[in-house]
This record gives sequence, structure tokens and C-alpha cells, in this order.
Amino acid sequence: MLDIIINIAKKEFIDNIRNKWIIIITILFISLTLLASYAGSIYSEGWQDLGSTMSVMGGLVNFLITIIALILGYSAIIGEIEKGSMDSLLSLPAKRIEIILGKFFGLGIVLTFAILTGFGTAGIIIGFNVHNVNYVEYLIFIGATILVGLVFLSIGIFLSCLFRKRSTAMGSAILVFFLFTILWRFIVVALLFFINAFDIKNATLPDWYLALNFFNPINAYEILLSLNIPSLAMQQVEAITFGYTSFLNTTNVLIALILWLLTPLILACWVFKNKDI
Amino acid sequence: MSLIEGNLDETSVILVKDLTKIYNGKKAVDNISFTVKKGEIFGFLGPNGAGKTTTIKSILGLIKIDSGEIKINDFDIRKAEKNAKKNIGYLPEKVAFYDNLTALQNLLFYAKIKKVSKEECLSLLEEFGLGDVINKKVGTFSKGMVQRLGMIRAIMGWPLVLILDEPSSGLDPRGVIQIRNKIKELNQKGSTVFISSHILSEIQEICDRVGIINKGVLVAKDTVTALSKKLNLKPQMSIELDEISDEIIKSIHDIKGIDKIEVKEKTINIVCDSETKAKVILTIAKAGGNIINLQTQEPSLEEVFIRYTGGEV
Repeated sequence: MLDIIINIAKKEFIDNIRNKWIIIITILFISLTLLASYAGSIYSEGWQDLGSTMSVMGGLVNFLITIIALILGYSAIIGEIEKGSMDSLLSLPAKRIEIILGKFFGLGIVLTFAILTGFGTAGIIIGFNVHNVNYVEYLIFIGATILVGLVFLSIGIFLSCLFRKRSTAMGSAILVFFLFTILWRFIVVALLFFINAFDIKNATLPDWYLALNFFNPINAYEILLSLNIPSLAMQQVEAITFGYTSFLNTTNVLIALILWLLTPLILACWVFKNKDI
Repeated sequence: MSLIEGNLDETSVILVKDLTKIYNGKKAVDNISFTVKKGEIFGFLGPNGAGKTTTIKSILGLIKIDSGEIKINDFDIRKAEKNAKKNIGYLPEKVAFYDNLTALQNLLFYAKIKKVSKEECLSLLEEFGLGDVINKKVGTFSKGMVQRLGMIRAIMGWPLVLILDEPSSGLDPRGVIQIRNKIKELNQKGSTVFISSHILSEIQEICDRVGIINKGVLVAKDTVTALSKKLNLKPQMSIELDEISDEIIKSIHDIKGIDKIEVKEKTINIVCDSETKAKVILTIAKAGGNIINLQTQEPSLEEVFIRYTGGEV
């Protein structure tokens, strides 16, 4: 089983590493990170430390990583079915679960490679120009970014298994992108005011509202960063104003992200297993 | 023990028993059963939308069947999927590869899953005239080259069962002959071939038996000769004489077993039983006829196909 998964993962890596979107977004990562470091602060000139760079990049990463992961994932299965190569692959002694896992790992490596290249290159250049660089925080930042990227890759692959047309899978991936990056904030705030649960006198938010952060991987990612990288905690308005409730801790947020990663992947295996090709 | 259709015995490698597949409430394949014997070339024919692809996809386990049983070399395609597929080489109607990978990278990817060596891949690439382009991306290949690469993918590892869906599609005449020869060669080496094609002459030339599917129902399965007999299709003789007399025509009319006589200038076209052919020649000779040219046309698969499918192609 493992050799087939590795073989499929290797093929996915070779096939996708030359994907023009991956190359464009990796170059964008490097450029933006360097730009954020050099011109990211309005209070000073020249190269900024990684803390300042991360605080600028944190917001951009949400968009870029989500896009890149969904691009890689949404066509992984349905793209091959529409093209016709899935017929041949499934006529071989390979199980459908092996194909899903092989694709997930292969595309996951492509995604990780893009993140490491983008942030790694920028990190090295910044390291040469700035003293007292906190590399541990930067590594946490990169690790969390890879994790949230894998979550969206998993969602993308699930959508790819779910729909019968590539265009429908793409449409649903765009919807997922807008839901989690833009619409979510409006929905939960609207919900809060609709239920009238915001206690303005005591400036406290209800637990259910804070727990909703677990249901959006991007929110969970932001909380994970702000809990572990002090310079990024400043960005979290809710954290500063109201403080996080006890259940919003690193362990729980990590568990939420891992569940976000595993659930769509398991569902993808189940849907694909029962799918007519 | 005699072979009972629908039961797998030691001489059969493909068993399809009571196969039914329903799409949106409509039966795409309706309770069909057949076996393909070890070492035979079995042609699978039918008009567009008759259920050929559904049957092939069911045999390969690509779609969930609603009822029935499918076995490849005694392995159930659903219960022992991996073992069943180890015996299969498949060429789909729409051959596709990974365009960003080279021909060799593509083949090695499939070869690793099939546990086939790199040497065999290289040797097959040479044999099929793709030796010079092994490091070129498949995205730059012509349709014929992709088809040949697809054939290599299907036959690598010398599978027990070859399932070929329109193998001549997109090939030039040289490529068609090459593929046909390869099919015969593989068959001689022991591979069983299940082939679906629109080129009926090709099927008639290489197949031992054929199955004809129409509107989801398997309407016929046998040798072309046996099916012709069942349909009472007879050979046509075309006899050219130096001179045709009334006596010759009258004596031919007296022969039993002749269905049709047609005279065109110095040629007599006769439709008759196979056994009557010799009698006709002897009668003409006795009546003083001098035969210049004689041609016999056996019933074609095309006629059989049209009769069984009601003229649908």
C-alpha cells in the first residue's frame, strides 16, 4: 500500500511543481514577504525584523494559502476523471484510498515546498539584513501556515470527489474561499447582534461566539498564531479587547485544525470509493 | 464438464453473470451474461449508447453495478479488486496521460504500480516506434503517438486479460496494422483479448467469437459463422462465364438450396447454402458453361451486426 501511495505522491509532485499558478504564487510570496519586511513599517525605514514582517504577511497569507491549496485540490480527482486518465489509473491494482492519499501527500509536498521556498527565501534575506531575528516564532508561523494550507488542500480534494464536473468543483472552491476569508466575519457578527448576545456594558463575548472560531480554519489559524507569536497577538482585536476564553488554547486550536484536515480527507475517501467513474 | 454460460470454469478468464446497471432509473445494461475463454479474442459490438462502455467499466470495477457478478481469472472484481486487476491490461477509448510528464515518466509511473521493470518499458517504447521521444512531454504528442503509448501501457507486464476499447482510434493505416499484429502476437502468447471496436472488418478478422449488445441487452454471442447460420445468412457466388445460355440458367434454377439468382451481362450472382456451391459449379459445367472467373463472398459481420441491432450503427 505504502509504495503505491509514494509512487502517486511522487507523480503528483513532478506533475504539479511546474504548475504556473504555483510558480506565480511562490514568487508572489517571496516578493511580498521582502516588500513587507523592507517597507512594511510606516514608523521606520529599511529592513524590519521578522515579527513586523509576519504581522504584515499574516493577513495576506490567509488569502494566498487558501487560494493555492484550493487550486491544487479542486481538480485533483475530477480533473483526471474528465481528462480520462482516471480510468487507466483505476484499471491498475491501486485502491481508491491509495489514490486519494497519494494525491494528498504529493500535493501537500508541493504546497509545503511553495511555502518553504517563499517564506524561507525571504527569511534568509531578512536574516542577513536584520539583527536579533527570532527564528522560532518564524518557524511557528511557517508551520501553522503549512497546516492551514493542508486543511484547504483536504477541503479541495473533497470537493473534487464530490462533484461530477470540474467547473462545479471550481465554483464550490471559490464559494469556500469567500465563505471562510470574507463572508464568515459578517455572518458571525450578524449572528451575534441578531441574537443580541453582546454584553456591551461588560465588554464580553459569549462563549458560543468564540467557539465559532473552531468552525473556520482561518480563524483557528489566526488564533494559533496570536497565542504563540506575541507580535501577531496585537492583530487580534478580540484578543486585546476581550481576552480569549480558556478553551481557546493552543492544544484545542491544533486539534480543531487537525480535525479540519482529517474530516474532508476521510469524506473524500468515502465519496470516491462509491463514485462511478 | 461442459461450459455453462455465466459460470467460470477452468477455460474462462472473464465471467459476467446477470450484470445490471441502472442510471437514473434507466437500465444501461440489462441482466447480461457471458464468459470469455482463456486464449480467445472476443469482440464486443454494439451501436453507440448500447451499453458497451458501461459493460467494460463494470468489468474494470470503475462503476458500481446494481446486480450481478464479475470475475477476472476467478477473482471477484468487487471483493478481490487488487488481485483481479493484476490480471488486466486496459486501453480506454479516450487515452489520456499526464501532459507535463515525459513518455518515460508516464510509463514508469504505471509500471511501478504494475510491478513492471524499466527495461521492459524502454523495450516496448522502441518496439512501438517511440524510442526517440521517451524524454519528450506527452502533451506534445500527436493522437497516434498517444494511442501507441496507451497500447504500451495496456500490454506492459503481459497481462492475462487485455481489454481494448477502440484500439485503432486515431491511428494511421500503419499503426492499425501494427496494433492488430500486436494483438495477435499477445494472443498467441496466451493473452485473452476482449476488444470493442467500430471497425467490424477488424473484429471479423481477428476475433474468435463476438458478443453483440443492443439497448443494454446482449442479443447475440457466438462465432461470426454460427451467427450467420442462425440468421440464415448465405454466401454469395459471383460466376463470370464466356457465354450464358438459357439452358445454363434453367439448370441452375432446378438446384435446391438456391435463394436468389441474378444475371448481369455475362455474370451470374447466386445466393445459396454453403453446401450448394459445389453443385452450382458442376451444373454449369455440365450445361456447357465455361467459367472465366469465380468469386465467393461469405456473410460479413456487418450483415450480422445490422440484423441483430435493427440497422442501428
